[in-house]
Amino acid sequence: MAKFELDGSRLLKVTINGDTFKALNGAMVAYDGDVNFKRQGMGAQGGMRGALKRKLTGESMTLMDVTGSGTVYIANMANEVNLVPLSGETMWVEASNLVALEGDVKTDSKFNGLRGATTGQGLFTTTVSGKGTVAILSDGPAIVLEVSPGQTLCVDPQAYVAHTGQLTQDFVTDVTWRTAIGQNSGESFQLRFNGTGQVYIQPAERQGGVDV
Amino acid sequence: MPSYNEINSKMVEVTIGHGDQVYARRGAMLAYKGDVHFAPTLTQGQGIGGFVGRVVKGENVPMMVAEGNGKVMYGHLGLQITHVALDQDTLVVEADKLLCYDGTLQAGTMFLGSGGGGFRAVVQGQMTGQGLFTTNLTGTGGAVILSHGPVFTLECNGSSKIAVDPQAYVGHTGQIDTKLDSNVGWRDAVGRGSGEAFQIKMNGTGTVFVQASEVRL
Repeated sequence: MAKFELDGSRLLKVTINGDTFKALNGAMVAYDGDVNFKRQGMGAQGGMRGALKRKLTGESMTLMDVTGSGTVYIANMANEVNLVPLSGETMWVEASNLVALEGDVKTDSKFNGLRGATTGQGLFTTTVSGKGTVAILSDGPAIVLEVSPGQTLCVDPQAYVAHTGQLTQDFVTDVTWRTAIGQNSGESFQLRFNGTGQVYIQPAERQGGVDV
Repeated sequence: MPSYNEINSKMVEVTIGHGDQVYARRGAMLAYKGDVHFAPTLTQGQGIGGFVGRVVKGENVPMMVAEGNGKVMYGHLGLQITHVALDQDTLVVEADKLLCYDGTLQAGTMFLGSGGGGFRAVVQGQMTGQGLFTTNLTGTGGAVILSHGPVFTLECNGSSKIAVDPQAYVGHTGQIDTKLDSNVGWRDAVGRGSGEAFQIKMNGTGTVFVQASEVRL
């Protein structure tokens, strides 16, 4: 199995020994050993159906397969890396925040409604599921917020990184005549989470999407 | 000898005394205490020949020299700084990622490629966007390098097979041969590459500095 470790907070060190893991295309900064990089083609991520889905959804994430034996260092834009162990559950994550996956973890895209458009990720979001470790990026240290029944959580779509658990999300708008004349507070749209689970947010608001 | 004190991860304080010279990227001075003078320099202590060479080689970041008695604080664009102390050693660093260094160090320019030049070296220069050459500092003294995000070090010895993404490469010390390795397949040609077609292979003994980002400075 590929072994995921952090070296400092911004660098992911993966030790492989004849096995495979997936990483964001181009995110390798250095390696030691015999390692090959191959962009995932049509056959990966759900076969032809997956490829077609990615085409239709405009889902922008591109992964590469890393194989061989040695140590591979992965980093992207000096963002902080967070390791999340999955044991069969599903995690929703912004495609731009996903950086590496252990071999047995699968990715898929799901329809996400208007929410996706606001965060600049299109109408679809990425889910990862299976058993293994997922490495996600955050601009600054990520914060994990617990959601329990009766305790809803609202987050800024631009600060949202990922969530796990049994959560339903909906979209809250707070658009008034002030927004229309440009006198808004900058917080006109929020994501509201209900249920039981965890939401990961970053202490920075990513650019792009609908700027309100 | 100038002494270096990292005030925080993005700012370095250099104490200079009588007779010391510190070369720095022009405009990188943030503050100073004491009686210090700054003068633009074209030659970086290499003489006119070195200057002409650098311009031709596209390795020309304007430098200035600080002299006097006091403390000078340097920083650039909020980038992370790393102090490297050289003791009869060589530091190879891309000119864009060099913040300041002692006047006692001999500065020069060299091929980052396999030494022989030719097509491979040309490709290497193009890929890293640094021209065909990189700066090297030799001797005893201090230097401060810049990086986007913290630098991490990889120890290179005879048995390691280290390769670095040209965009994440910052510099290296010691006796290391660098060689651009291209692994371009048909996938890259049709725009479906893994983004890792070019790597700098490191061979020898020394320390390699790599930044946790692929942003060019």
